[in-house]
Amino acid sequence: MSDPRRRKLVIVVGSGGVGKTTLAAALGLESARSGRNALVMTFDPSLRLKDALGVDRVAAEEETEVAAGTAGTLHASLLDARTTFDRLIERYAPDPESRRRILENRFYDHLSGNLAGVLEYMASERLFEVADSANYDRIILDTPPTRQALDFLGAPDRIVSFLDSGALRIALKPWFDPSGKLKATAKLGVIGRNVEGFFDRMVGLELLRDMAEFFQAFGPLYDGFRERALDVQRLLRSSETMFVLVSGPGRQRVADTLFFARRLTESGYNLGPVITNRIHPNFDDPISRKATVEGAAHDGRQLLAWLGQRDRQGVGELRSLLGDSHPLVELPLLPDEPNDLVSLGRLGGMISERLDDALAR
Amino acid sequence: MRTANLFDRLGRRQLVVVTGKGGVGKSTLTAVIGRQLAARGRATLMVEVDPRESLHHLLDVPPSGGEVVEVAPRLALQHIEARRLLDDLVREKLKVGPLVRKVLSSPIHQHFTEGAPGLKETAVFGRILRLLQGHVPRGVRRPDVVVLDAPATGHGMSWLMAPRLISEVIQTGPVGHMASEIAALMASRENFGVVAVTIAEEMPVQETLELIHGLNERLDRQPDAVVVNALYPHLTGDEDRGDPASSMWIHRRTINDRELDRLGRDWKGPVVELPLLPLDPGPQLIGALAHHAEAVGGHA
Repeated sequence: MSDPRRRKLVIVVGSGGVGKTTLAAALGLESARSGRNALVMTFDPSLRLKDALGVDRVAAEEETEVAAGTAGTLHASLLDARTTFDRLIERYAPDPESRRRILENRFYDHLSGNLAGVLEYMASERLFEVADSANYDRIILDTPPTRQALDFLGAPDRIVSFLDSGALRIALKPWFDPSGKLKATAKLGVIGRNVEGFFDRMVGLELLRDMAEFFQAFGPLYDGFRERALDVQRLLRSSETMFVLVSGPGRQRVADTLFFARRLTESGYNLGPVITNRIHPNFDDPISRKATVEGAAHDGRQLLAWLGQRDRQGVGELRSLLGDSHPLVELPLLPDEPNDLVSLGRLGGMISERLDDALAR
Repeated sequence: MRTANLFDRLGRRQLVVVTGKGGVGKSTLTAVIGRQLAARGRATLMVEVDPRESLHHLLDVPPSGGEVVEVAPRLALQHIEARRLLDDLVREKLKVGPLVRKVLSSPIHQHFTEGAPGLKETAVFGRILRLLQGHVPRGVRRPDVVVLDAPATGHGMSWLMAPRLISEVIQTGPVGHMASEIAALMASRENFGVVAVTIAEEMPVQETLELIHGLNERLDRQPDAVVVNALYPHLTGDEDRGDPASSMWIHRRTINDRELDRLGRDWKGPVVELPLLPLDPGPQLIGALAHHAEAVGGHA
């Protein structure tokens, strides 16, 4: 039931800095070893991980095959908001003139690069693109490195709500006459004039004009957007898709992890295993047993003993609070962050083994 | 070479932005800096914007919920929600009740404030500016300095860029005026500072170097200091490599040293090194780190 290895799409979520990207790569490699044709889609991997997977700028344009020598194939792709956005416009702009207007609008730069949620939305958009293709039978998606990782999931909903809100209809009205002056807006009535006057006072006409132009340039694209956003929504909640939640060890992470797990399931997503990553080992030796705060300042062994104890408490707390709802997979802090195919393969094998154990409980 | 200590260097700033990758201890450092600036006699307000408040945990006070919370003499914290500021702005400017409701419930307002690049960030900086100018709630002291716990680096850079972007795009109206006032404050080397927080591991150091580069390229600024948090103790050379705990310690500290070196090759400014301490997040940890930060000063 909670086995992500039986799903076509696996989405790896969690707070920043917990090791999502590495785990996504390891899961992908493990899938390829077991004979699947796998694709890992990742954001912002470390330089050495990029080297290990052989992903470079090219991977922002297309999926790149990793020479992993596995039974199935392994592909990797790097997610980049701007490239994905550009591709969408290429696809949907009806003619070269609309395409040029969009690309030249000064909002485009900010919107495609900076607009919160765009990267997240684009990730799911790209996911849908590849999920549709017959090239892969396992896709692992690493989600953006934000604390608000839930933004990613909400992005398609937000796009749909925006498109349905009527804001667009108003934005698409011919607000300005050819000389650049604001047209009379008597049709909107008193309220409309006031609202508009308010925006005018607040931000100035020039901005309004630019925004209106931006939205108008985008006009023909919206139909395609809306349809695809709905498709992505369905895909994220389908039975083919499973989420894997990664958390850091330690007591202070427990509340965050539970919050996230609850939000996912309440929103109708299919949450599978929770992985607690980078758990410090327990060294049961005489020095560890007499660890003190003062001692740990100079003696790394005492510090590690404290960290091991802290993590063991954290994992115990998380395990009891999760109950039987989701299998909990514990992964140790490895001496080195895996960054080549050999160490990623080992990590993938370890995840698989421990997942088997967790599922058998 | 040793330079003045971090808090002395921040001594005359009115606004200090603490930035860095998620999970490196930004909030912790915000609390440490706030505590030490207050200890130097400056009325200090720590501001956090992350929807999930965390500063109050570290300082053991009730959550802000938008109000100013007194932590210690001269030290307070406040959680600011950009969304609420923009709604307040509408209330303030429109005045008429039904109109206010109309605008606030209008999808245009919602999507505009959600989507317009830089608007939310500028609103937060705008509020901070007002506080610094003395527009404070009754009974609350005007802060001499505000320490902002900014969102993670990728977003951190867009936070720092926002006022300039807005002041370029919007030139008139209250938003435009506010944006150019903020941009002016942030252009001042005297009044505005940035502290970058990282840990000595590959990705966080990489992102810190990118942040330094971005600050330099796009804002012609350098951080006041890079704080390297959570370092393992120095090795003595007498460790027993055969012992698993010692071997792990050696390994972690070796990574720390390698990444400190890498940082030092590209960043010649002040670096403040802080230890990984066996303390849970809370006032005791903040106190201990403050003590360390004072003692090490900073070296360049």
